[in-house]
Amino acid sequence: MKRYLYLSLLPEGLIASMLPPNEFGNYLSVGTKKRTRGQAMFLEVDMESVKDILPMDYIEEKCVMQEGNIPKNSVYLSIYRVLETIPLKALLKLYLVTDDGRVMELEKQEYKGNLNKELHLYQELCPITPRVASTLAPKEFSLLMTDGTEKVSVPRIVFTELQLGDLSKDPTAAKIDNLPYPNVQHLRDGLLILKENNDKNKKTIIRTFTKDLLYRTIKNGIFVGDKDDMIYYPFPSIEELESKYYAWWRSANIMGF
Amino acid sequence: MESTSSLPWIIPVSSIIALGFAYFFFKKMMKNSEGTDRMKEIAQYVREGAMAYLKRQYKVVGIVFAILFIIFVILAIMGVQNPFVPIAFLTGGFFSGLSGFLGMKTATYASARTAHGASQSLNKGLQVAFRSGAVMGFVVVGFGLLDIALWYWSLNYIYDNNIFGLGLKVAHELGLTGSDAIWSLDYITNANWIHTKMVHITTTMLTFGMGASTQALFARVGGGIYTKAADVGADLVGKVEAGIPEDDPRNPATIADNVGDNVGDVAGMGADLYESYCGSILATAALGAAIAMHDGQFNDKFILAPMVVAAIGIIASIIGVFMVRTKDDATAKSLLNSLLVGTAGSSILILIAIVGMAYLGWFGWGIVGSVVSGLAAGIIIGQGTEYYTSDGYKPTRGIAEQALQGPATTIIDGMAVGMYSTWIPIVTIVAGIIASFGFAGGFTDFAHGVYGIGFAAVGMLSTLGITLATDAFGPIADNAGGNAEMAELPKEVRERTDALDMLGNTTAATGKGFAIGSAALTAMALMVAYLEEVRLWLAKVPELGADFIDKTGISSLANADIYNFVDYYNLNVFNPILLAGLFLGSMMSFVFVAMTMKAVGRAAGAMVEEVRRQFREIPGILTGTATPEYAKCVEISTIGAQREMLFPSLLAILVPIVVGLIFGVAGVIGLLMGGLVTGFSLAVMLNNAGGAWDNAKKYIEKGNFGGKGSDAHKAGVVGDTVGDPFKDTSGPSLNILIKLMTMVSVVMSGVTVVYSLM
Repeated sequence: MKRYLYLSLLPEGLIASMLPPNEFGNYLSVGTKKRTRGQAMFLEVDMESVKDILPMDYIEEKCVMQEGNIPKNSVYLSIYRVLETIPLKALLKLYLVTDDGRVMELEKQEYKGNLNKELHLYQELCPITPRVASTLAPKEFSLLMTDGTEKVSVPRIVFTELQLGDLSKDPTAAKIDNLPYPNVQHLRDGLLILKENNDKNKKTIIRTFTKDLLYRTIKNGIFVGDKDDMIYYPFPSIEELESKYYAWWRSANIMGF
Repeated sequence: MESTSSLPWIIPVSSIIALGFAYFFFKKMMKNSEGTDRMKEIAQYVREGAMAYLKRQYKVVGIVFAILFIIFVILAIMGVQNPFVPIAFLTGGFFSGLSGFLGMKTATYASARTAHGASQSLNKGLQVAFRSGAVMGFVVVGFGLLDIALWYWSLNYIYDNNIFGLGLKVAHELGLTGSDAIWSLDYITNANWIHTKMVHITTTMLTFGMGASTQALFARVGGGIYTKAADVGADLVGKVEAGIPEDDPRNPATIADNVGDNVGDVAGMGADLYESYCGSILATAALGAAIAMHDGQFNDKFILAPMVVAAIGIIASIIGVFMVRTKDDATAKSLLNSLLVGTAGSSILILIAIVGMAYLGWFGWGIVGSVVSGLAAGIIIGQGTEYYTSDGYKPTRGIAEQALQGPATTIIDGMAVGMYSTWIPIVTIVAGIIASFGFAGGFTDFAHGVYGIGFAAVGMLSTLGITLATDAFGPIADNAGGNAEMAELPKEVRERTDALDMLGNTTAATGKGFAIGSAALTAMALMVAYLEEVRLWLAKVPELGADFIDKTGISSLANADIYNFVDYYNLNVFNPILLAGLFLGSMMSFVFVAMTMKAVGRAAGAMVEEVRRQFREIPGILTGTATPEYAKCVEISTIGAQREMLFPSLLAILVPIVVGLIFGVAGVIGLLMGGLVTGFSLAVMLNNAGGAWDNAKKYIEKGNFGGKGSDAHKAGVVGDTVGDPFKDTSGPSLNILIKLMTMVSVVMSGVTVVYSLM
């Protein structure tokens, strides 16, 4: 039976499994008594591309059919500094799982976003989780966070850009409307500082974000980047979500209760 | 006696026509497909759950009815109860239950068919849901009027042929028999004999309203507890703890939740409005009988007029239903317009009919003014409800804004909005009472004025056939939406069922206005009708009757007017006994609300435990590899509802009897007034606060103040959860509590008059 390799982002971990992605996502979210319910996000890794750095003997020994012909759910290979170890080219599809186990897969694409200076809100997802407002476009932001010029940086990062609505134009007075962010006043202050101060290009809004990411707040997609490259997983449009991924979207919409 | 022409035959004929059209619409609905196998499977689960609930409910209610029947028989044997009451009580309860049963059966067959219809076009979905709602509407008015007609003609036949010696008893009461006491056919042409007979008949018929009220209270309280227990179970564990959407087949409580929509909103509402419909006609007929004698001539038009108006209302409703037509590419707005054409069209038709009846001399032009006052009051109350509960206006948006501060301020603001919202219905109903009283000549003749108040309620409910169709249409569309979600139908179908659901919510606001307004007017009319019952019992107990005549100085009991009763029983607010009753009536509303709310809490607790158990013991539910035990959740909710409904319902029956036995007529009048005034205000407050909280949450979900998942949304969810038993259990039950207490007082007036301590 085929074996898969997954890079879990929430929490970080490298896992071998006999479950195909949909079943694995379901298992991560609701299929284990260790974690009866919870959001999950993982990348499928091309095993061929990384077999030289993997303990293949261990995988072949442990990741086998269980008693009653049940496929092995998970064999944890690493839970520390995994993201930086796996090369970007080995990353395949990204899977977003709701907290009741619905799975949606995203294909990677080239990012062709706007590079003009404007206000952005980024939620870092792995390996660290602050929420940061910035004037940098995703590619620049990814570079800044990983190229080592900043005192605090990481070798590789996964992050998403969140919707700002009219706050990006008028941080002081725009209505928050559909933006479910906590401590909105602090967000407004942060955005205002960035808008009025050309020397500053990022401002931390939440030091460590510990809650579930509300998928509906994703503006364009999810980015995985390092100092050399960045890959991009675009998030479907509302129309697509409502027609093509309705079951997932419905579950995603009640998250955060 | 003045001739009534052949028009009264429209009463039984219309009721048969209504039932015929209900059958026609049912058959037509059944010809539609239920859609895919999955849709059929879901509909079958809901159907089985709904029927299992009703079966159990009728078993419990059957036992209560059997006990009350025996008590009434014993009281009748003791001579303090009308001998027809035990049977009348049963028929009222039977037809009310039958209406609820048939309405719910139709609704549970219609949901999948509506969803399937919506997959073809919005109009097709509307037609299936609306015509299925019309089954409920026409079953209620058909059986209601049929029951009234059967009793009216049967009792007339019994009295006119002196069966059980009743005709002679009336003659004896009037002193017509002399010493020989022999039945003579001459009596039936004697105006005084006819008048007294009609008073007997109409007050006897009034008592079948108690059967309908009792059935309605059980249906509303039981259905309300059931629906909220299921809803809370589905929400708290399914949605909040397990993260599963509401209409998701993995949620064990989802079928129970859908069943709840049917037992609460369809069966409960049907029984409720059956009771209001019959109560308003019967109370007005009883008041009509009291004023039907004029210048030695008896005019039975006063008694028949409310029944004839109701019968014409059925025809107007049928025409209205056929006026609801739209094109296949109709938008939601044009659907609303077509529904309004139907309901407004039938209201205009009934107004024309009433003007025609006034022209033909069935009643004075003042009654036309009373009916117009009632209809206007219904519309204003409906619009007031819409203003305070719709997210298009400031009050509900204000609650949503307060949610930014957290759950506490959401609750505070919701309570404030609910309390504020009472002013429009109360000022309107005050104006409606005064206007309908005044138009009918009440400022010069009290009895005519109260007759006008009763007639205003009859006018409001005369087109119940179509207004109930628009009300029942809502839960059918809601269930169709659930079916479409669970069967994972395409986006455009879900959008159409959502549009139908929204349409149902909009039309329900006006329906609510008429239901609340007519309940207040009917209760007022019933209170005066209570004194007519008291008059009868005074006549039956010679020493009490003599005492009344002696102390009031009138020539005979038949000549006693309201002021004589006020004098004799000291019916003024400075009488501590009446004041005691007022306090008790006011307290009853609060205690009843508290009991029903606590009942919801307990029943929901059992449901929460059951859903948690299923998630714990059936691990494949969440992964979709195991099917939840839906039936177990249905059973838990059913048992909880049946157990919890009993005590508050019995309290509503027992308190008027106990108050009557201790404090007498003055205490009962105080109790009914206190119950009416406090209960009406509290019901409006609970309904509107609950509705406003619900829509405030929805307003946030539409993308305001942070939208779904925000802290404001969490506070909004708390408000909505608190408001659920407000608007779906306690609030709607209060209207029936008010009327049931009045009905119990009417039926037990003999016991009060004869055995009261004060």
